Amino acid sequence: MGRKLIKYPIYSITLVLFLIFIILPVLNSIRIAVLDSHFFENINDIGSDIEFLLLKSSFLSAMVAIISTFFGIVLGFLIYKTSVTYRKYFKIILLIPLFISPYILAVAWKDIFLLFFDKIENTNSVLAIIFVHSTIYIPLSILIIGSALVNVSKHIEESALMITGLRKMFTGILLPLIKPAILSSLVLIFIFSISEFSVPAYFGVKVFTTEIFTQFSAFYNYNLAMLHSSLLIVVCVLFLVSERKYIADSPFLSVGTRGKTTKIYALGHYKNTGFSLLVSSTFIMIIFPFLMLIYQSFEKGTDSFVKAMELLVPTFGNSLFLALTGSVFTLIIGFVSAYFSIIYRKILLDNLLLFTFAIPSIIIGISLIKFYNTPYLNGIYSGFWIIIIGYVAKYGFIPAKLLENAIKQLPKSLNEVAIIQGIGFTKRIFFIIIPLILPSIFAAFIINFLFCLSDLGTTIMVYPPGTEIMPIKVFTIMANAPQSLTDSMVLIVFIFTMLIISLLFFIFKKIFTSYNVNY
Amino acid sequence: MSIIKLENISYSYSEENVLEELSLDIKKNKTTYLLGDSGSGKTTILRLIAGLEIPNGGKIFIDDKVVSDDNSIIVPPEKRKTGYIFQDLALWPHFTVFKNISFGLENRKKPDIKKTVFDMLDFFGIRNFAKKFPHQLSGGQQQMVAIARALVLEPEILLMDEPLANLDTKTKTKILHYLTLLKNKYNLTIVYVTHDYKEAIKNADDIALLVNGKIQKENFSTKMIVPD
Amino acid sequence: MKIISVEDIILGLLFFSIFIFTSCRKESDLVVVYTTVDQVFSEQVLKKFEAQSKVKVKALYDTEETKSTGILNRLLAEKNNPQCDVFWSGDPVRTVILENERMLQPYISKSAKGINKQFKDKNHLWTGFSARARVLIYNKDLLKDTEVPKSIFDLAKDKYNGKVAIANPLFGTTTFHIAALFTIIGDNKAKDFLQKLKNNNIIIATSNGDVKKRVINGEAACGLTDTDDAFEALNEGNNIGIVFLDQNGIGSLIMPNTVSLIKKKYISENAKKLIDFLLSKETESELSFSCAQMPLHKGVKTAKNIPSPDKIKAMKIDYISTAKKLKEIQNYLKKWVEN
Repeated sequence: MGRKLIKYPIYSITLVLFLIFIILPVLNSIRIAVLDSHFFENINDIGSDIEFLLLKSSFLSAMVAIISTFFGIVLGFLIYKTSVTYRKYFKIILLIPLFISPYILAVAWKDIFLLFFDKIENTNSVLAIIFVHSTIYIPLSILIIGSALVNVSKHIEESALMITGLRKMFTGILLPLIKPAILSSLVLIFIFSISEFSVPAYFGVKVFTTEIFTQFSAFYNYNLAMLHSSLLIVVCVLFLVSERKYIADSPFLSVGTRGKTTKIYALGHYKNTGFSLLVSSTFIMIIFPFLMLIYQSFEKGTDSFVKAMELLVPTFGNSLFLALTGSVFTLIIGFVSAYFSIIYRKILLDNLLLFTFAIPSIIIGISLIKFYNTPYLNGIYSGFWIIIIGYVAKYGFIPAKLLENAIKQLPKSLNEVAIIQGIGFTKRIFFIIIPLILPSIFAAFIINFLFCLSDLGTTIMVYPPGTEIMPIKVFTIMANAPQSLTDSMVLIVFIFTMLIISLLFFIFKKIFTSYNVNY
Repeated sequence: MSIIKLENISYSYSEENVLEELSLDIKKNKTTYLLGDSGSGKTTILRLIAGLEIPNGGKIFIDDKVVSDDNSIIVPPEKRKTGYIFQDLALWPHFTVFKNISFGLENRKKPDIKKTVFDMLDFFGIRNFAKKFPHQLSGGQQQMVAIARALVLEPEILLMDEPLANLDTKTKTKILHYLTLLKNKYNLTIVYVTHDYKEAIKNADDIALLVNGKIQKENFSTKMIVPD
Repeated sequence: MKIISVEDIILGLLFFSIFIFTSCRKESDLVVVYTTVDQVFSEQVLKKFEAQSKVKVKALYDTEETKSTGILNRLLAEKNNPQCDVFWSGDPVRTVILENERMLQPYISKSAKGINKQFKDKNHLWTGFSARARVLIYNKDLLKDTEVPKSIFDLAKDKYNGKVAIANPLFGTTTFHIAALFTIIGDNKAKDFLQKLKNNNIIIATSNGDVKKRVINGEAACGLTDTDDAFEALNEGNNIGIVFLDQNGIGSLIMPNTVSLIKKKYISENAKKLIDFLLSKETESELSFSCAQMPLHKGVKTAKNIPSPDKIKAMKIDYISTAKKLKEIQNYLKKWVEN
């Protein structure tokens, strides 16, 4: 009897497709940048001011990461681990900023700031960026920290409570146990914040990404921008790799096979404090900017809203299709990567996803154009596939990461016993692994759906002419449109997103019940 | 007559030798206890027999056929006619008791699955629990489901990794009693891993003792003491 | 022996068949246009063309406001295999960049007969139409009529310290405006003037639209922007005024839209049809109504308040040399913005 020629066909095929469709274009554009006749000139151009900018951006993003994670821990604990009033609703409401693209919140917040201050000076602008970014990324932190908290076994907490008080248990047991999640939150938010461009641009603060952008849009110096971006890529990859190293070494909590419950604390005296903390966060993160948008939309009647509706309705179908297809593909590649890296220690695909995740959207976009825009590959370039490829390159890492954590928490024996029972690979995946990590799959799907639905950076570079895509239409119309039209469009995007998400929740709830995930 | 034979098996994990040049015979239709401290590599031996781990050196035979060779699996786990009871039982939490037991059968396209499953449940007296989920059962009941799930596929060898450790004496005795009945009924060979030597002496036909717990890195070969 | 399962093969085939299917489509009654003119305005025009000609228009929109890297970078990246047939630019700057990259194809449109040759490329690589002008807008609550600057050079005066807004001169029409100043008054004088503006605490906004916003909300008393933004602000009912600067001096900068044919193996007739349509009086009239642009043809029906370019004293510049100057001064401008 011989061995299989290709040991893991699904993994190998996915890997090869990823290499051909995504890595090759990226390598190709690196090649072009290096072969540029001004290459050494460009290298010399990376002077102290660039390094200073990188430091400034890093500082900004580090602040955002720390603030967001701090609030992520506090609010995550309140929502997921205490009996605070209406926690169920807060769980969903506080995720809303994730659904809104940063630019929109920047617009809303600047309007609010201007109500209180005459002008926004330079230092204040930096603070404003930190503030706006934090409000955007706190939900992400809540999500990461919350899911880690829920997975801590009740018994661990209870046995600690037998010997010490709640506070000591929290700092001595709970926090150390969720350290990997805290670290993930810090690193991911750092990376999101450092590569986010629209908020600093809107507040007129020069950071590393705006500098790259200037190289592109004012100087059309593609190769220099590529070189600068590579610095950013190096920083991001370094962070991600060190995070990964740390997480690999840290103990992971298992989902028990004998039933799982999470401990919920009664807040006692602090009940009102906890509740008001959540309410004020909701006000600051959602209600204020939202009210501003509504106010601006309807300040001069409903005309703007109607006009915005006319403009956006044709984009709904396309955007929905693209975002759904995109999230399905990113989910598939993320799952394959996660499954094989955890179960079989095949980590190449995972590392490649990490690499493309760290590349700025514009670079991905340009790389894809340079590679696919040939007479032979026109079929991909002039259709919607190019957008899907862009999504997979940009966001494939996110489901991979979420699902890795989920699969890591599954006892290996659940899979092994199925192997011994002679249950085939496909059946094991679909009947054992997937149902057991269904909540994580759902979370990954929703998060990626949101990212794809609001993606601008890559899409704007590659979307085929004549295609109407929601965020791009908002972005291009925003230009000379009156404030009320802009705000109306934003409002509609927001409502549309919420409707779709609710629908997805409903569908998944059905699937959950059919799979009986309430163990 | 031996049904399982390990010949000069070496196994290492993260550059640390867990087993070195280990040989062991396990006789047919007997209950063999693998006795040793935690970390001594007894679970690894079970996993090697099941085909869940690949030996770095040596050969494993089942029914005189080579199933594992140096660095390779010749016969995949599902074709070794073994059943495996994991320490944590590994009951699928999202399946009912019935589905847990029938899932493997469905795959082998056995006729009349329902009857087979219910017969097995009847044997353990847990028919009423068919629609329950694992977490709704007591520890002892979960044990029985795990054993039922393995036996319903009619293995020749049952590998048990200390599954009864957490049970009270009464339940443990009850389950051990069932095991003896089953062993005779199905002509089973049982390999049972434990650190409880009292239990081993009481129930074993054969005992294999892993001496000195861990296997040293140096040229120290494991001695298997198999009392008659 | 199992090498690859049937499922895997099917999956693979499915993948590739989708690619092949999508690549097989070809449409002849189609024209691809990339435009940097705001979608709200350009889309109407293109829709009209579609209705008249029965040619399907596939458009890619972009905007200078948000400083998107979109269209021009995309055109440049697509250089080896252009997807675009017609490039409709809101200003001559980007067109000149494409000209330098030799991506344009000459075309003489019969619709352009009535347009002054000042607005056309000598080699027929592009043709200008409907123009915007650079103007000053001011907040009537903050500046009395007598206080309003008459010349761009007034903006450096003490009394406007911290009160004037200008868009980031690295982007869009503002770059062109500054470059035009450089060509007219010479490098030294222009640099001197810019330094004075800087010393006078000029507010650098992200875009012309942002200038408009800041003037409306009073953050700045006045600011330089384009006519379309200015008229838009008026139409929204804001209390602002519009001034054409330097009518007794160097004149105001006038920037036409430009349209050009992209060089490719097969030039489609549809592309030429679209260019003819864009250069027609009809389009100029429509753009005057929709976004307050000034027609370059004579005798075009325009919206109220829209001045004819004849009645405005225009800066005398050559678009190509201004575009060259623009490239020259970019590094200087970058430093100017940052310091």
